[in-house]
Amino acid sequence: MEKDFSRRSFVKGMAVGTLAGYFGAAGLSSTVFKSQLLPKEKVNLVDIGQIKGLKIKVISETSWYDNNVFLNDVKKAGGLLVNQYEIPWTREGVKAGYLGDNLGGFSTYIEAELMDGKVMKILLDSGWNPHWMDKRFKEEGIAEKLAKKEIDFQVISHEHIDHFFGIESTMRHYPDIPMYVPKGFYQDGFDLLKGKSFPKANVKNDHPHKGKVTVLDSKQVNVLYPGIALMTFDVPIILRVFGEQAFVFNVKDKGIVLVTGCCHQGIISYMEEVRKKIVGGEKIYAVQGGLHISPFEDWDPQYDDLIMAFNKYGVQKIGCNHCTGFITAEKMIKAGLPVVKGTARHMSKRDIYLGNGDELVIT
Amino acid sequence: MSANALDTLWLEERKLTDLIKQPVIRGILDTLLAFAVFMGLWWVFMDPRGVLRWYTPQYGYMYIRWLLIIAIWQVYIFNFWPFKLEWMEKAHPLKKGLILIAINFAVTGLLVWVFYYNIFGKLAIPYFSWPELKKTGLSDFFSREYSSLAILMMAAIASWLSPIWPSAFENYPWHKLKQPAKGLTVFAVTFLLTTYAYLIFMHPHYRVLFYPWQEYTAAFPWWYNSFHTLSGNFNVGWIMCATVSVWLTETILERYPFRLVRSQPWRGIAGFLFILLLAFILFFSFVFFQDMVWGVSVEGAKRIMAPDWRYLHTGELAVILLTVGLVLYFYFDNWPRKFSTEVNILIRVAITIVVAVGLHWAYYKYSHQLLGTQAGYSHPQQFPMAPVILFINVMLYHNWFMDGWPGKRIKREAEAL
Repeated sequence: MEKDFSRRSFVKGMAVGTLAGYFGAAGLSSTVFKSQLLPKEKVNLVDIGQIKGLKIKVISETSWYDNNVFLNDVKKAGGLLVNQYEIPWTREGVKAGYLGDNLGGFSTYIEAELMDGKVMKILLDSGWNPHWMDKRFKEEGIAEKLAKKEIDFQVISHEHIDHFFGIESTMRHYPDIPMYVPKGFYQDGFDLLKGKSFPKANVKNDHPHKGKVTVLDSKQVNVLYPGIALMTFDVPIILRVFGEQAFVFNVKDKGIVLVTGCCHQGIISYMEEVRKKIVGGEKIYAVQGGLHISPFEDWDPQYDDLIMAFNKYGVQKIGCNHCTGFITAEKMIKAGLPVVKGTARHMSKRDIYLGNGDELVIT
Repeated sequence: MSANALDTLWLEERKLTDLIKQPVIRGILDTLLAFAVFMGLWWVFMDPRGVLRWYTPQYGYMYIRWLLIIAIWQVYIFNFWPFKLEWMEKAHPLKKGLILIAINFAVTGLLVWVFYYNIFGKLAIPYFSWPELKKTGLSDFFSREYSSLAILMMAAIASWLSPIWPSAFENYPWHKLKQPAKGLTVFAVTFLLTTYAYLIFMHPHYRVLFYPWQEYTAAFPWWYNSFHTLSGNFNVGWIMCATVSVWLTETILERYPFRLVRSQPWRGIAGFLFILLLAFILFFSFVFFQDMVWGVSVEGAKRIMAPDWRYLHTGELAVILLTVGLVLYFYFDNWPRKFSTEVNILIRVAITIVVAVGLHWAYYKYSHQLLGTQAGYSHPQQFPMAPVILFINVMLYHNWFMDGWPGKRIKREAEAL
C-alpha cells in the first residue's frame, strides 16, 4: 500500500502537475509550436487556363416545395441517415407543390466561351421530378438542345435525389450524352443511370444511358477544357450519399468563378481548396449555385461562423440559391455580402436570390 | 479505492469469482458477447436500416446518453437503492440484470417524456420540449432534433459531474447518511451543478441556434474569440474529455494519484482538479493531432476542416479511448496488476492508446456497412459517440447489473472466507 501524501507534497505535486499539464497541452496547440511541428503544406498549383466569358442559367433551383412535407418523409423513414432510394417521397396532395407534387429538382445550364471563341454547353444536374424537369427543360430550350446534341456534356454534382433522380429528363432526349460523376456514387446510382427503377422511392429511368460515364476523384484538379475544371470532394452527405464535385472557371480579367450543385463540402472549404490548388485561386470573383447552408430553414451556429468568415474572401458576386436557404440569404445580405437578386419566377418563392429562369453573366 | 476511504460502493465491495477462466479467453468471449448484444440493440433501436430507426441521429443519441447517466445514478449515487444489498448478493444475475435494465429504460423514458418534454420544456425553456418548439413554427423534424441535442447535453455534463462526488469526494460531507437520503442529496447537488454548467457551457449555443438570435435570453458564446466558432461543440469536446477522464481515473488509473491524499475534502478537490487537468491535456492533444493529420482548421469551413467539428471529434476520440480502457478493466481484469501501481497504470495506458488507434481506424472503415452510419469522417449528422456509448452501456449493464455473468459470478460467503 502506498504511503499517504503530506499536505506540502500534495500542494507541490499539484502545482508542478498543473503547470506541466498546462504548458504541455496549451504549448502543443499554440501557434509557436504548431508552426514548427505541423507538416508544411505542399504547394502544387495547377494552371487551368482561361475562358473569355460565362453564362449561367438557373433551370430549376426549387428542389422541393414544402419543407415540412419533405422532412416528414425523412422523419417517417428514420431520419437523415436513411438510404434515399428507400424513402417513399410524397408525390401527391401538396398544396405548395407542382400540380400537388412536392418534388421539383435542381439543374443549371452553363455556356462557357473558350479563348478561341468556341462555346462549351454544359448541363449541371438533372433535377428530381421528371414532369417538372421536362417542363423546365422545354421552357428554357434545354430539351431542344439535348435532342440536337448541342450540349457537350452533363455533370452530376452528386447523387442526391433532387440533382440526380430526374435523370430520365435528360436521357429521353440524349441517352448517349457524355457524363461526369464524382467518386462515391453508389451502385444504386449507376443502376438508375442504366435503367433500373426504385419503386419504393418512386424513381425510374426508362431511357438507359448509353454514353460514356467518367468518374472523377479528388486526387487532382480535373481540367476538362482550358479555363474549365472540376474539383471533387470526398464528403459524407445525408441520405447515404458520398462525394460531390463542383466547377471552377477562370474568366479572363475577372477571376475565378465557382459553380456548384449543393456545395456540401462547404463554400469556405471549397474556396480554400481553390486557393491552394489553382493558379489565380486567391482572386475568387463569383460564386453561383447552392451553398448548402440552411436548406430546410434550420440553423446551426456553425452557419454563422461561415457567414462571418465569408467576407474575408472578397467575392464580388454571390449568385446563390437552392439549398443556401432564405435565412442564410437574409443573414448574408445583413452582413454586407453581395448576394445577386433574382426575379421569383417559375415557382421560385422569393427574389432574395437567383431563381428559376434567372441568369448570371460574367464577361 | 483509498485505504482510508470515507464511503464505498457495493460495487467496490462485491467479490467476484471466475466461471470462465482467464487469461484472455473470458476477456475475448465477454467482449464478443457485449458486442453481439450491442449489435442487437443497435439494429432494433438505432440502425437507419433497422426496426425503430431512432438514430435520426439526435433523437436516438439522446436516449443513449440518458441510459448511461441513469445507470451511473443507479450504481454510483443510489448504490442500487431501492434494492437491498442482500438481494443484490443473492439474486440471479440474469434476473437482477433484467430488472435493473428495465428500471434504467423506464427512468430514461420518464425523464425525457415527463420531465423534459412536459415539465421543464413546457414551463421553463421551450427548446427542451419537442412539442413546444414545434408550436413556434419549427418543423416537426428539427423540433425533435434540437430538443434532443439540449437534453442529451444535460446528460453529457451530468456524466462528468455526477460520478465525481462518489468517486473523488467519497460522498463527503454526506457519507454518513443512509440511502436514499445520501443518494437524493448527492443527486440534488450534482444535478444543480450540472444545470449551472449547462447554462454556462451550452445555453449560449442556443442563443445563436435560432433565427433571429435570442439575445435577451442567453449570453453570446463567450468562447468565440479564442476558439473561432460560435458552436457549443467546443464545450462538448472538452466536457466529453472530462467525462472520459473521470472514468479512466475510476478504472485503469485506479484513482491514482489523488487517492494518496490523506483526507477529505482535499482528496476530492485533488481528484476534481486532476480530472480537469487530464481532460484539458486530452482535449488540446487531440486538437493538435487532428491539425497534424488534416491541417489547421479554417474558420467558417465545413466538415473535416470546421473548427467546431474538430472540437467535437476530440470528444469522439476520447470516448473511443475510454471504450478500450473499459474493455481492459471489465473483461481483462484491469491487466496487468502484478507490478507497482505506477508501472501497471503505464502499461494499461499504453495498451489503451495503441488499441484505441486501431479501433478508431476500424470504426471509420466498417461502421458505414455495419451500423448504417454515414461513410467518411466528418458530417454534422454523424456521431460516433452514439454507437460507442451504447456499447459502453452494454458493458456497464453486464458488469454492474449482472456481475459479469456468465463469465463471472458473486463469491458465496464461504468462498469469500
